[in-house]
Order: sequence, then C-alpha cells, then structure tokens
Amino acid sequence: MSGILDLRSSLVVFRREFAAYFNSPIAYIFIIAFLVLNAGLFMTGFFLNGAADLRGFFGNLPFFLIFFIPAVSMRLWAEDKRLGTFELLMTLPMRTADVMLGKYLAALAFYLVALAGTLTLPVMVAALGNPDGGAILSGYLGAVLLGALYLGIGTFTSGLMRDQISAVILGIMACFLLFVLGIPAVAATIDGWIPGLGSLLQNYLGLSGHYEMMLRGVVGAADLAYFLGLTTVFLVLNALWLEGRKY
Amino acid sequence: MIEVRGLSKSFGTMKALDDVSFRINRGEILGFLGPNGAGKSTTMKIITTFLAPDGGAVTVDGINVLERPLEVRRRIGYLPENVPLYLDMNIHEYLNFVGQARGLAGARLRERLDWCVEACGLRHEYRKNIGELSKGFKQRTGLAQALIHDPDILILDEPTSGLDPLQILGIRDLIKSLAGHKTIIFSTHILQEVSPVTDRVVIINEGRLIADGTVADLSRGAMGTNRVFVGARAEAGAVDSALRALPAVTELKPLRAAEGCRFEARGPFSDDLVGAVERLARERGWQLTELHEAPYSLEDTFIALTRRARGLKEVA
Repeated sequence: MSGILDLRSSLVVFRREFAAYFNSPIAYIFIIAFLVLNAGLFMTGFFLNGAADLRGFFGNLPFFLIFFIPAVSMRLWAEDKRLGTFELLMTLPMRTADVMLGKYLAALAFYLVALAGTLTLPVMVAALGNPDGGAILSGYLGAVLLGALYLGIGTFTSGLMRDQISAVILGIMACFLLFVLGIPAVAATIDGWIPGLGSLLQNYLGLSGHYEMMLRGVVGAADLAYFLGLTTVFLVLNALWLEGRKY
Repeated sequence: MIEVRGLSKSFGTMKALDDVSFRINRGEILGFLGPNGAGKSTTMKIITTFLAPDGGAVTVDGINVLERPLEVRRRIGYLPENVPLYLDMNIHEYLNFVGQARGLAGARLRERLDWCVEACGLRHEYRKNIGELSKGFKQRTGLAQALIHDPDILILDEPTSGLDPLQILGIRDLIKSLAGHKTIIFSTHILQEVSPVTDRVVIINEGRLIADGTVADLSRGAMGTNRVFVGARAEAGAVDSALRALPAVTELKPLRAAEGCRFEARGPFSDDLVGAVERLARERGWQLTELHEAPYSLEDTFIALTRRARGLKEVA
C-alpha cells in the first residue's frame, strides 16, 4: 500500500491541470497583466526613491496577490463541478488528497511561471546599482510562500463553491482578512474593542509581520512555519470538505 | 457481485432512497428503471462511491464501498448522467488522462486506447476538441472513458439520453456486445430501450423499490391476467357466448374486425387459454384468423406498478 500521499496520481492530475491553464488564452492574458501591473507599480516608485532594491515590488505583492491569486485558483474545483468532471475525479481510484495536491501544485506552478517573469527586475536593478542580493533572494522566497498561502486559501474556497465567480469573491475576502489582520492599525483598533484580541490575531494570523521580515532579508523559522503551516491547514480543510460532501 | 442492502439516503428533508435492496450476479445485465427523480442516479452514485448512504450497505465483489472505496472504484467503469468531459481537451488527451489516472501506462495504455476508440467509433474524431463534438460523440467519449481500464463492472447512468434513434441503436449494440463478459447496470426512463438489451429489470419509484425480476414475471405480477387475441370467421354472437362459457376466460372484450369477428380474452396465467380456444374452435368448426398471446409491454407493466405503489402509499 502507498503512504499518506500517492504522488503518481497527483502527477497525473498535475499534468492535466497545468496544461489546462495554457489551453486557453486566459493564461497568457493573466501572466501579461501580472507582469505589466507589477512592473508598472514598481517602476513608478523606483525612480522617485532612487534606491537600488526591490522593496517596492515585494511590498506591493501582499495586496496585489489578494486579487490575482484567487483568480488563478478559482477554477480548480468550481470548474469541475460545473462540467461534471468532479464526479469523474471522485470515482477514479485516487484519493481526494492526491487529486487536490495535483491541482494545487499546478496552480502553484502557474504562479511561479508568472513570478519568474519578474526576474528581469533584479537584473535591471543590479545593472543600475548595487542591490543586496540576500534581500532579493529572501524577498522571492517570501513571494513564493505568500503565493502558496493565498493559493491554499483559493483552492479551499474553490472547493466550497459551484461557480467560479463566488469562488473568486470568497477567496479575495479570505485573503484580504489575513492581510488586514496583520496591519498594526487594525490590530490596535480591535485591541480597543477587546483588549489583547487584536494583537493576538496579528501575531498568529496576520500576514505582514511575517512577510516583512523576509523583505529585510531575514528568514526566520517562525515565519516559515507561519506560511507553510497555514497553507497546510487550508489544504487539509479542502480535502476534508470534499470528502465530507459524500455524507 | 454487487449487493445493495437496505439503502437509504436523504438530501435535507427530501428522502431520495428508502430501504432499497437488490443484487446483480456476475455477467448479468440489469436495466434500472424509474421515472425521473426516482432515485436511480443516487443509487448509482452510492455504488460508485461518489456518495455515501445514510443507512444500508453496498458491497462490490464483497468489498464494502464505504470501507475500501478505492478498490471498488478500480473494478467499476462509470458513466455519470452528466457526461464528465473536459471540453478543452481532445479525445486522445482526455482518454489518456483517465487511463493514466486509472494506473494504465505504456503499451497497455496504447492498446486500451485503441480498443476503446474502435469500439466506440471515435477514430475520425480522435484529435478533435471535445467541446466541438456533437452530443452523440460526447456520449460515446464518456462511454469510452468508462471502458478504458477494461472493468468487470459497468455502471451507465442514462447512456442513451438525448441521442437520436440511430445513435441509441449504436450504444445498444455496444452494450449487447459487452454482454456476458461484464456485469452491467444501466438506468433509463425510456422503457423500450430495456427489452432489446436485457430481461432483468429493477424498478424504483419515489425512492422505493417496486419491482425486481424479468419483464415477463413482472407483467404477470402487475397485470394479474393473461391476454389472448382471438379472430374467427364465424357469427360474432355465437363465438362471444361460446368463449364466455370457457372456464379459462374471465373477461371478454369484442374488438373491431375487417372480416368475421375479433375478441380480446383475459384469464388467469395458470390456465392454457390459447389451448382452450383452439379446442373450442375445432369442436365448433370455426376458421380461426388469429390466435395468440399478447404479452404486456413493459410500459403497461410499469404504469400498473407505479400506480399500485402510489395507491399503497396513499392507503398507508
């Protein structure tokens, strides 16, 4: 018998899902929009600041990805439910968790392709000045982990919904919640209502504290644990929800 | 091979299945009948492990569908009512995906792809996008998907719905060609489709099993009396009174005839109605133009059974 995960099944699903992204022109539109918007937002500030680093680019991502990532993940389950292929997937000899992992990794790979398109930015910055290579590297690590977390949320909300529009809206709201909880001013306001609750939520769920450490070039175990742990929670919830639907 | 025991399932307050039991033996073809919304699809979804029952149990080859669903799934080829197709793939990519997901690879996968494409008549459409296929080809692609791993068991939910008569014939021939090798359950609400393919039917209505047996047995049970058509070149009044006098005839209805006279006689299945009329005609010297049993159509049976089930429910 296989272990907890059957990677062969996941790989079959991954290949189909990843190809599905590129089977329609939407993928290319998505990637171009991602690159144009990100680079555009970054460049407007870049020449004003006059600093050779990518802080501006990475700093925009937590807010920008709130909209971009759920749009990438919305189809993962909702489309199968609409097409009826959900019933096929759930009656093939593959565990729900294996199918889910294949789908999730396909979406993650798609995001990584889009993110790889931004690698021109560090090249440009290096040509213009003398950036801190470590900070750029950890910044990219942060961007990957941030995308992985949002995708976990988006995969989960796609599993809850039958149509993609509801899935994307719910995903945006959930990602936004994590984002907002990490903002000090929001935490302080919640503290004002119920003392201690705001800071508690900020520490455990809030995003920005963990993310900003990586922008500065610091990769801490707690920050890694936050991203990987929370991503895993949403993926496990996703698999449990889809299993539980049977009953 | 497949055993369904005391199955029940509710969706919210709606009771979709209520204590349904039946079994299918190896190599048997079972027609699964019932009006729309009777619970056919729900039963099939439970057998294929897509849904879990609230009560009761299903075993496939002795394996409980709730305990070891993956082993059950390996044995079954399933065509759901909404044919599950990825519209952005072509037939080759799609069947390849399902084959791989079922663990096929290499030469074995190619061999099975070839077989399915041939058996389902998909050769010319093989590289076409599924989204561009006609309804008939979509249905066939769905069927090919269910056959890709050469399963022992086929579960086909409304395999001919929405097809034109010629396409229905094609699917029917395909099912017939698989008979004997495979255990097949197929559902339909179109009764004429059943008889050419199988004798054995299970009928459910409003979530309850109302009949299980061969079409002939069921019509006996449902209609109560045998039916014989008699035509003779003789004086109508005489024939009428003579037939009425036969102990085997409990009911007699005169019919319109081009020449002579014609009757519909009914009597218990236990009596040899045809034989009795034959002897009578010989004694009286009538020239018979017609004498045969008229088996009830599945339709008559079905209507009688569902009416009776409804009547019982109202009384209860």
